[in-house]
Amino acid sequence: MRIDEFRIEEEPYYLAIGDELAIAEAAYHDGSPLLLKGPTGCGKTRFMQYLAWRLQRPLVTVSCHDDLSTSDLVGRYLISAGEAVWTDGPLTLAVRAGAICYLDEIVEARKDTTVVIHPLADDRRQLPIEKRGELLTAPPEFMLAVSYNPGYQSVLKDLKASTRQRFVVLSFDYPSADKEVAIVCREGHLEPELAKSLVKLAGMTRGLKDSGLAEGASTRLLIQAGKLIGRSIPIKTACRAAISEALTDDRELLAALDEMVSSLF
Amino acid sequence: MDLEGLKEKFYQLVAPSLPNEWDVEDALSPLVESDSACLEEIFAQVPAIWPVSHALCFAYLSAAGPALCHLALDELSLWVHTLLDRYETGGLAGAQLFMADVDQQFARQLRGQGCLRLTDVRSRLQPYVNGLAGRELPLLAAAEAATDSQAIFLPGEIGVFVEHEENFLLYKLMASFQWASLAAGMFAAPRFLKLHRKSAHPLDCFFSEFQPPDSARRLFHLLETGRMLSFLRRELPGLMRAATPLLPRLPLSGDGASALNVLDWMQRGLLRDQWPAENHSALVDQATALLRQYSGQSIDNSASLEAVRELMPLLSPEEHLAGTNPLIFQGVFRLQEMRNLGMKQQADKEVRMMQAYAASLPAVRGKIDVDPQSGNDGGRGYDAALIMEPEHAWEQLPPFMQSQSQQIDISEMAAPALNPPQEHGSTRMIEQTVSATGGKAGCAAARGPHAGGRKGEGMAEHVVYDEWDYRRKGFRKKWCVVNEKEVQPVQNAFVEQTLKQYRGQIRRLRHQFELLQTGERFVRRQRDGVDIDFDGLVESLADSVAGQPPSDRLFIRLARDHRDIAAVFLVDMSNSTSGWVGQSIKEALVLICEAMEMLDDRYAIYGFSGMRRLRCEVFPVKRMDEPYSQTVRQRISAIGPREYTRMALAIRHMTSLFARVEAKVRLLIVLSDGKPEDYDDYKGDYAIEDTRHALLEAKARGIHPFCITIDRQAHAYMAHMYGEVSYIFIDQIRKLPARMSEIYRALTS
Repeated sequence: MRIDEFRIEEEPYYLAIGDELAIAEAAYHDGSPLLLKGPTGCGKTRFMQYLAWRLQRPLVTVSCHDDLSTSDLVGRYLISAGEAVWTDGPLTLAVRAGAICYLDEIVEARKDTTVVIHPLADDRRQLPIEKRGELLTAPPEFMLAVSYNPGYQSVLKDLKASTRQRFVVLSFDYPSADKEVAIVCREGHLEPELAKSLVKLAGMTRGLKDSGLAEGASTRLLIQAGKLIGRSIPIKTACRAAISEALTDDRELLAALDEMVSSLF
Repeated sequence: MDLEGLKEKFYQLVAPSLPNEWDVEDALSPLVESDSACLEEIFAQVPAIWPVSHALCFAYLSAAGPALCHLALDELSLWVHTLLDRYETGGLAGAQLFMADVDQQFARQLRGQGCLRLTDVRSRLQPYVNGLAGRELPLLAAAEAATDSQAIFLPGEIGVFVEHEENFLLYKLMASFQWASLAAGMFAAPRFLKLHRKSAHPLDCFFSEFQPPDSARRLFHLLETGRMLSFLRRELPGLMRAATPLLPRLPLSGDGASALNVLDWMQRGLLRDQWPAENHSALVDQATALLRQYSGQSIDNSASLEAVRELMPLLSPEEHLAGTNPLIFQGVFRLQEMRNLGMKQQADKEVRMMQAYAASLPAVRGKIDVDPQSGNDGGRGYDAALIMEPEHAWEQLPPFMQSQSQQIDISEMAAPALNPPQEHGSTRMIEQTVSATGGKAGCAAARGPHAGGRKGEGMAEHVVYDEWDYRRKGFRKKWCVVNEKEVQPVQNAFVEQTLKQYRGQIRRLRHQFELLQTGERFVRRQRDGVDIDFDGLVESLADSVAGQPPSDRLFIRLARDHRDIAAVFLVDMSNSTSGWVGQSIKEALVLICEAMEMLDDRYAIYGFSGMRRLRCEVFPVKRMDEPYSQTVRQRISAIGPREYTRMALAIRHMTSLFARVEAKVRLLIVLSDGKPEDYDDYKGDYAIEDTRHALLEAKARGIHPFCITIDRQAHAYMAHMYGEVSYIFIDQIRKLPARMSEIYRALTS
């Protein structure tokens, strides 16, 4: 892996919702790590891309999963031509290069794995590499960011207090209706009227928590529906494929979502 | 076939029952003329109806002949299926009503035509309305459409159009309209009121400024209906596009009337675009002009209120508008109910505010106590006065709080209910359904769930379940009631003796179970992993040097096996388990509990017994989240033989309990000593098929059922109920304690 591959050359589209950018930049300059929380598809990853572009730092993203081990983050010895060769993991790579390391859905990783970031996430800013007997100190340009979705994780997968209390926290939610319309227009290449109806549909689905829908339609889903519509897929079919079916398998809820779509379009 | 032949056939079908001959003759005489194919089909339904109700069966036989004039032969079984559903929800009277009009009640429904019932569309419309409102807004049946801000009321059935699809659209329009009336502020308080009564809705106060107030109300409602339709066109264009062709076809009360009043003209204009010719009358001209002018533009109800002020003086005193029915989707106002709900919320809010304020008052109290001018006796502080005399206390609140508590903001009524009204809760529903399922007598609730409770056993909750009737290939709706009862712990030497008697076996079991416990282990010779496997590496290099193809399995990986298992042991506590059988089952439970302590698997133990469908009992011996404690041991000691085995119901109850448990593997282990059987007709094929269906339902929810039985006849029915590999027969009851733990180990490893 070469660190230059992680540089973001073009400005990603990001519409600021509040003062998240100012907070994140202040945290960067202070050397504080960032915790992004919010529902799926509300723009956390896009925000990180935008931040990395603004700060002109490479962005190393790791999608966490329950089999992620410390070696996967820090690095391991590999055998090459009869020799054991050390290979940096993404976290070590980011620390060495002063990049931004973004651990997406951190709670999916096992708790003992996440402990490795502790010395990196406080004022020490150090990464111990036990297998090499090395202690890396992060340069000022390095930033650690993690994200999680408080909505759907089970109690077993909550973030430990000792991890949590090291971060500056940015809470994300779906944008306000007018901003969401602007985002869907821009990213989904849609007319404002159509984007407005899609956002209205998303609003309706987000009110269905008590009716059995774990999470409502995300901005990402709206953009996907918009793109389908842009490719001449009929609106109702696009909404079914990109929104309703993505939200639930329950037949009754699907029927209710269809009713919403047919009422709006 | 002659009457005697019919009687003989009937008596064969209902044997061993011997109903009165004259009842049978009365019921069968209309069938004498029917051809044999019809008769065969009619009689084929009798076994499904007779056990449910004899009276219903006789009524069916009388009605079946005429029913076949409207139905094809193969549709009769479906008709009977619906008939039984109606009987279970509406009793014999409901069933008779259903049989009286086969065409309207059934045949047209079958062909996607005719009346549509709210119960049929609720599952689809309820989430739709919740989505619109962004909160729970229950859809309840009422005579006319309305809303009280916390619920939407819709007619129990709609049969305005022939096609189901169109009637559904009307339902959807009604629900959307009622939502719109809340969302678009139809009920907002007028800004200037001459009269103001706190107990009345501000709009009612407004209407009472005019004579008669009812006419003012009707005019306002229709003017607002115009505004709502425009609102819906803007907000839900798809719905209104689909509904627009229907609107002119809706019946109006002015249709066929000799003279039309102002409301009739307004309704015609709104729905059919038939506006009156100019110079009709000052009132009609003005009203229709205002309707057309404002409905598309205004954002709140102020224009409609102004219009009412303008129009009411033009209404002659002898003209009554009460003869004009509101539009079907428009419905009626429930302003007083809305006001009452609002006042209750307001009162709750004030109490909460005062409590919160009182809690933060100590500093103020000190100040007031030393003030000689305060008029307080010093012993009772400011905060105490605030709580004791709330009617005066609010004057002492800071101004911002005064304004909060004084404000009558109708828009708040549309805010989410903090305490949803109790009547929508489950308690009332269960009471209703119990009395409905009580059949013709209707007194089942009184004698059912409470009868026969043993002293010292606390009643926990009643849950109603359906029961599968294989003869009708459908559920008997809300047929059985499960009571969860506490088992009173018993202090005796049973557990200690068991532990002593089986101590060697327990030690072995604990060791075996300990081996099951999994955690982290290193797996060698993997293609990738956390570290290098030096044995593998050395071997690979040696192979390479020797000219052999070297292995690429050079790593060690940390494998983590996580047992995410939840198990329920469901124990038959029927009368037949007395003596050795019960003793062995209890010993088996002690052994499994001792062994399970070595694992992290979550497990629960429930017993079941009961008598008849309204008194099925489930006894929690150990709940899923409860530790294996002395109390649990004492409850195991208290397990004893009771009544009958309505097993399916207990399985359904366990299935619903499992729904709350998150686990990768969910195991239901049933310990039984015989066939499912109850005191009433619950036996034989019926009981086996019901149990089989309950197990299928459990499997569909991701639960693995497994049965341990000691019934020697088990092979005859077990494979059918559980499937070939999901049960085991233990021939010697004394082996049960040891075998059960082995079975659990085998099932989960």
